[in-house]
Amino acid sequence: MSAPTRRRPAVSAAASVAVLTVLGLALWQPAQAQSPDPTAATSTTAAPTGPDDLVAIGRQLFDTGCVSCHGEGGVGTADGPTLVGVGEAAADFMLRTGRMPLAEPQGQSPSKPPAYTDQEIQALVAYVGSLGPGPAIPQVDVAAGDLVEGGELFRANCAACHGAAAVGGALSYGDYAPSLHSVAEVQIAEAVRVGPGQMPVFDEDVFTDDELNSLVAYVRYLQDPADPGGFSLGRVGPVAEGYVIWVVGASAVVVFIRWITRRRADG
Amino acid sequence: MSRRHRPDRGSRVGRTARWFDDRLGVARTGRTLLDKIFPNHWSFLLGEIALYSFVVLLATGVYLTFFFDASAAPVTYDGSYAPLQGVQVSAAYNSVLDLSFDVRAGLMMRQVHHWAALLFLAAIVMHICRVFFTGAFRRPREINWVVGCTLLVLALGNGFAGYSLLDDQLSGTGIRIADSVILSIPVAGTWISSLLFGGPFPGTEIIPRLFIIHVLLLPVAIIALLGVHLGILVRHKHTHFRGDGATEDNVVGERVWPTYAAKAGGVFFLTAALLCLLGGLFQINPVWLFGPFEPENVSSASQPDWYIGWLEGSLRLMPPWELSLGDYLIPNPFFPGVLLPGVTFLLLYAWPWIEAHFTKDHEPHHVLDRPRDRPVRTALGVATLTFYVILFAAGATDVLAVTFGVSVNRIVWTFRTLALVAPVAAALVARKVCLELQRRDGPPEPLPDEAEPVADEPAAVPS
Amino acid sequence: MADHTPHEASTGPDGEPLVVETDEDRRRVERRSGQTLPAVCFATSVVAALALAVVYAEGGQNQAEGVLLAVALGGIGVGLVVWAKRFMPEGPDTEPRGRIGSTAEDRAAFVADLETGAHTFGRRHLLTKMLVGAVAALGVAALFPIRSLGPRPGRGLKSTPYRDGVRLVTEDGDPVRPDDPGVGGVITAFPEGHVGDETAQTLLIRLEPGQLEPEPGREDWTVDGVVAYSKVCTHAGCPVGLYQEQRGELLCPCHQSTFDVLHGATPVFGPATRPLPQLPLGTDADGNLIATGDFSGPVGPGFWDINT
Repeated sequence: MSAPTRRRPAVSAAASVAVLTVLGLALWQPAQAQSPDPTAATSTTAAPTGPDDLVAIGRQLFDTGCVSCHGEGGVGTADGPTLVGVGEAAADFMLRTGRMPLAEPQGQSPSKPPAYTDQEIQALVAYVGSLGPGPAIPQVDVAAGDLVEGGELFRANCAACHGAAAVGGALSYGDYAPSLHSVAEVQIAEAVRVGPGQMPVFDEDVFTDDELNSLVAYVRYLQDPADPGGFSLGRVGPVAEGYVIWVVGASAVVVFIRWITRRRADG
Repeated sequence: MSRRHRPDRGSRVGRTARWFDDRLGVARTGRTLLDKIFPNHWSFLLGEIALYSFVVLLATGVYLTFFFDASAAPVTYDGSYAPLQGVQVSAAYNSVLDLSFDVRAGLMMRQVHHWAALLFLAAIVMHICRVFFTGAFRRPREINWVVGCTLLVLALGNGFAGYSLLDDQLSGTGIRIADSVILSIPVAGTWISSLLFGGPFPGTEIIPRLFIIHVLLLPVAIIALLGVHLGILVRHKHTHFRGDGATEDNVVGERVWPTYAAKAGGVFFLTAALLCLLGGLFQINPVWLFGPFEPENVSSASQPDWYIGWLEGSLRLMPPWELSLGDYLIPNPFFPGVLLPGVTFLLLYAWPWIEAHFTKDHEPHHVLDRPRDRPVRTALGVATLTFYVILFAAGATDVLAVTFGVSVNRIVWTFRTLALVAPVAAALVARKVCLELQRRDGPPEPLPDEAEPVADEPAAVPS
Repeated sequence: MADHTPHEASTGPDGEPLVVETDEDRRRVERRSGQTLPAVCFATSVVAALALAVVYAEGGQNQAEGVLLAVALGGIGVGLVVWAKRFMPEGPDTEPRGRIGSTAEDRAAFVADLETGAHTFGRRHLLTKMLVGAVAALGVAALFPIRSLGPRPGRGLKSTPYRDGVRLVTEDGDPVRPDDPGVGGVITAFPEGHVGDETAQTLLIRLEPGQLEPEPGREDWTVDGVVAYSKVCTHAGCPVGLYQEQRGELLCPCHQSTFDVLHGATPVFGPATRPLPQLPLGTDADGNLIATGDFSGPVGPGFWDINT
């Protein structure tokens, strides 16, 4: 575990305005890229090679792509934490959501399209798993989950950071709890068990495997909930509604009262 | 209007009027009302938008009361929204779910009601800005300014009460914060909180109490004050802008009957249409996603409706200071949550007298100022608006942080700085713009020669 | 333009008076084409209203209801406005404003009457004073029923159900063992018998050994790296639910107060001024987590006599 870091970027206010504007454009397409094939992670059984071969391939990949930060044998360096004992679940989550390899070593790693193929990921996961015992990739059975139970667990444990509608939320110093809207089922379960980044760990003593199925089922529901009321406005709550009433409502009002009071004599 | 009528009996309209006048003697007053002149400027309709939003609020609100159950009693939800079936919720939250999913047209009524509340407050704010920037609060209208400010306060209170009734996670969080602000009041805070909640937060009393406040006490007060507001308006007659022969002694515009009545009717129907469009197409306050209120749960992005947003923002921007007086404490939320709104409304109420004190202008005014001709007032108004808009934006620091990918901490510091600097800058810019506009367009056109201020004869108005 | 004068009016075939003020008006009235738009608006409104009835009868649908209602209302609105703008006199008309204050005589007479009456009251000095006193006393007495609205603010603000030996349980009522939260994990717990109690909600956070730097006097308040803090924010009472594991900080989602879990949950950002109170932990004979006392201070937001 690395020491707590406080990043206090010294970007000027003007630059932050520019960043705000640019990143603002990205808002309306939240995290498009983080959806790998949901079935990918469960297809390890179809791997063409045996487990030992996989580990060997994984070590090769590791030694070219990961060793500079995570060190020889995954023991960690100043630039990256040890991978001994993080388990297959952590490696699978990081690789399939594209969070590893890091684009830049500063800040929270965003999800992006995975850098490795499915087979390469299986190999790397097997290698990291071989470094020491850790959480295995959870078996998720959404059909066995209970939507209602999942909802209660989500509101009690997840909504605080990810928001009641799983649209994501702000943490401190630029970190954020990401939107869960395009995360695959297995990766949701992996994140729960592993606690990547700032996220706390929820192990089997907190959520049983059955409860985890329920939780994943509810997150799946939140990824595309029925919006009987109409446009969802991003489901971020009253802030968006406030902007709508001013940008749409008040503008419409001003337009029609100006039309009504324009006289024939005004042309 | 009737097509063929015998001349000896008069038209049907005439007969009806005669019947009433025989019994009430209202023809003279009635004629005065029909011939009343309303100036024709769009900004004079902003208050009407608020009025008609309120009418929509009453209509939809009455419908909602037939289904809403203002009770914290625990029940098991068994309606048609699957993700909550079997969950123990309050009767209030249960009835809102039923309204949303199992009462036909219930969701539309709920959504139109909520959008109408947002527009009601927005229209009041726009109206008050119009009155402020054009100097329409000056003598003889100080009383109506005070009535209007009170209407704003009541509308704010009623909006918050309504938002808090649903007993979902967001409304419960809002009440929790409100309770903390109440607790921060020196000496009396704990007592007020205990009396309001019938014990410690949350208890079971707050929802039925807020319900009576929301559907009876505050609406009746609003209706009564609206009557006073409009009565005084009729008594004073409307202000107007320069032009078309407007003077301090006349009112220039359109007669109520028929033109203005038709147009005002149009404004009502268009306002209602806009609200129905919003209610039909834009989902508002999806309480089924937020879940029932549990004191130990919370969702990120917990925000109030926009009109409380400035208070949320002031709570967020307040530095971690509080005041210890020996053994006693004035906690942090007091300053942004009680002191700031207290000072805000004190200054707002007192503004007509404050301005008159400094301008030494105690004369009656019926012709409105162009904002540019009162650069100091305009600059102060712009500065004040800037300050509250920043507080409003700061009420959503976390949403802005996620939306724009910026550190929430940096946003807080930015807003803290802006809240102090931007109003001053805005005031300087506004004043400069006023003076620039004055220079470009010259002084305001002089009023036509004013006739003798007599009451009976229409003043002759040159073109 | 002068004061409103009776305008030149003719009567159309349907008996409606037509406003004719200018040559343009005259041409328009002659064309008689201006009626089409408002007529279409009203007709649209009728159609939408009927469609609304059908939608409702068919089971209702929010978007259809909203749009149809908007069309029905908007049709009337636009129709009325267009009608007014095309066919009704638009002025400008004027009326005299008249004076607001009364005439000097009326005012003097009113003031005189007022003073006469006041003098009548004032002559009975004693009675007047007693009347005022009686009304004031009644007013004070009328305030007392307000007291029935709620009890005297109790100890609830300063203490919780936690006592030495009280077990901690989850929301489901299950006892908690020190190793239940994995390292870097967090559980919301309550005192046994008080699940859901607003003031007693507790966060159990499992830290790595040696991570915590305990406050003086609290060295033995943790069990196997599990530290317990009140979940109620000391600023405005929201549950401080956002645990940032790598930084060891709790963030309140309401006003972004941030607390350093590794250093006694002292506030490090935002408006909060007081640390989250800590709960001393121990284990019972069965190895379950228990409290060994109440929180280190009053939980939740501050108030006037919090320190007394």
